Amino acid sequence: YPLYQLGGPQLRIFRPNFFMLAVRPGVPQPEDTVQFRVSMEMTKVDIKNYLEKIYSVPVAAVRTRIQYGANNKRDHKNRRVKKPDYKVAYVQLGQGQTFQFPNLFPEKEQDAETRSFDDFRNKYMEREQQRQKGDPRRGGVPDWFG
Amino acid sequence: MAASRARRVLWHGRCWFSQTESAVPPQPPDSLYPPIVASATAQSKAARRRRLEHFKQRVHAAPSIEEKLRLYGQLQRPKYMVYPQTFALNADRWYQSFTKTVFVRGLPPRAAPAAAKAPGAVAPEAARAAEGAAGMSAEAAKAPEPGTAAPGAAKTPQPAAGAAPYLDMRELRSLACDALLQESFYQNKKRPYLYRDQDHTPGPFLTQLVSTLAAFLCSRNPLLAASSIDLKPEVNYYWHHGEEVVVHGHRKGRVDPVRFQIDDNPHIQIRVPKQLPEIVPLDSDLGDVPVIDHKPSKLPLFKRQYENKVFIGSKVADPCCYGHTQFHLIPDKLKRQRFVRANLEDQIEVLYRANGIASLFAWTAAQAMYQGFWNEADVTRPFVSQAVVTDGKYFAFFCYQLNTLALTVETIQNNTRKNICWGTDSKPLYEVVEDGNVKGLNDEVLLQLVRFLLNRPKEL
Repeated sequence: YPLYQLGGPQLRIFRPNFFMLAVRPGVPQPEDTVQFRVSMEMTKVDIKNYLEKIYSVPVAAVRTRIQYGANNKRDHKNRRVKKPDYKVAYVQLGQGQTFQFPNLFPEKEQDAETRSFDDFRNKYMEREQQRQKGDPRRGGVPDWFG
Repeated sequence: MAASRARRVLWHGRCWFSQTESAVPPQPPDSLYPPIVASATAQSKAARRRRLEHFKQRVHAAPSIEEKLRLYGQLQRPKYMVYPQTFALNADRWYQSFTKTVFVRGLPPRAAPAAAKAPGAVAPEAARAAEGAAGMSAEAAKAPEPGTAAPGAAKTPQPAAGAAPYLDMRELRSLACDALLQESFYQNKKRPYLYRDQDHTPGPFLTQLVSTLAAFLCSRNPLLAASSIDLKPEVNYYWHHGEEVVVHGHRKGRVDPVRFQIDDNPHIQIRVPKQLPEIVPLDSDLGDVPVIDHKPSKLPLFKRQYENKVFIGSKVADPCCYGHTQFHLIPDKLKRQRFVRANLEDQIEVLYRANGIASLFAWTAAQAMYQGFWNEADVTRPFVSQAVVTDGKYFAFFCYQLNTLALTVETIQNNTRKNICWGTDSKPLYEVVEDGNVKGLNDEVLLQLVRFLLNRPKEL
């Protein structure tokens, strides 16, 4: 952003590409810390205002870092393929609030039909594998040999 | 016998060498064979344990305190820098868990010094009663004296004020007001530079106040007469607490102790030749230490590698090797106004508490190391120090008793002792300074300050 000097015009940005994506932290974070992937152009102040004004979430502190996307993979023409860089923001909530990233894929309890179908499938697979195996008395030697 | 022959052993990895095999246990005289011990240079856990044992014995057997400190901080590795004055949220709970400190709100009740104070605090009432009108009712109506003196003594003005030297409240108030007015009103100063507000007025005021009060109270407290007042000293301490696995680098995967270093610069410090008395017995349990099982870097706390320094403000040979009181000034970056503007009012007290706990732990632990104690040789007597954290107007008082230095993984397992920190909330000393008058001078705060300065061992 251009540097603001006294008497200069107020900086106005229309329709900036500001987005925030709440993610599950890779390493355990303290209870009041939420981890976001944000747009590269957002600053700490922008993130704080975004959360406070749009979602009315009290924000105590914000820390950001830029994660470099690796450039090691190669495609079929041996050109390097870059994974995109992204900015990560760690937001500490105010007023003693806590946040735990929810489990988005909880284990569904199976009903009797699914369970019996799973059992049937497992038994079938076992029978198929047994059929593929040769005579156990031959000790794994294929029956090509006499 | 090969083992008893002196040989130079260069043990890589920890960069120590020894001239003699001092880790070998003494052999019975009838044995012809050298003792069977683990290798010293192998890449094995037994070898690592043997090297650690050897290191501990070297430190135990060090001839002087300087040599002990040199060996203790010889190996440099990346460590967390703990700043006592920090903007981090809820830093006081994290610092309590790093230093195994219990925080108790309010100052400890002073039993013995109160008996000495009771005639002292009563006597100002007696003095004023003698000056003004007679009678207890007039006294009570005139001066709402803070109830910190024993209430029984306050009700009965003892005429034996002549026996103990009394504190003249008017004199103390005038000293405080003089210092304040001199710095903020009488002296012609230019406008403070940007972010230099604290060095402009509150800094010099604090220095002036402390030096004049200390000089005034010398007659009542002979310890102050033998004390040494440092201006902007340096206090450093280095310790290990807990364990972690190294994440990056050539040492990846190894289990290392978590290293911390505090480098503190109090505004003023008073060091005395005799130690302050203990407040509670060594093994007392006054609460719980908060347990935080996240990595310290989440606070946020950052790592750096530099000299592992342990320093109390003066070198080991100085006779004033015990601490009395520290005075801390809050910098401009952490003023109350900035917290209020950011809607973080509750963090103001957190800042004061974190400053008190961290600074006092570093000071008392460094004092203990100067007496030869360290985490393998735990303290046998508690070390006590006091601190006042202020931003010029608001004062918070802290008292710390160091009961244990053993915070490493091996030594903390059987250690039930905890360090204790007592602290108050911040209270204003005055309301406002206007036109050469100090309005609303808070006697309680002033009295507490004086009480801190008068604290002394019972023998004196």
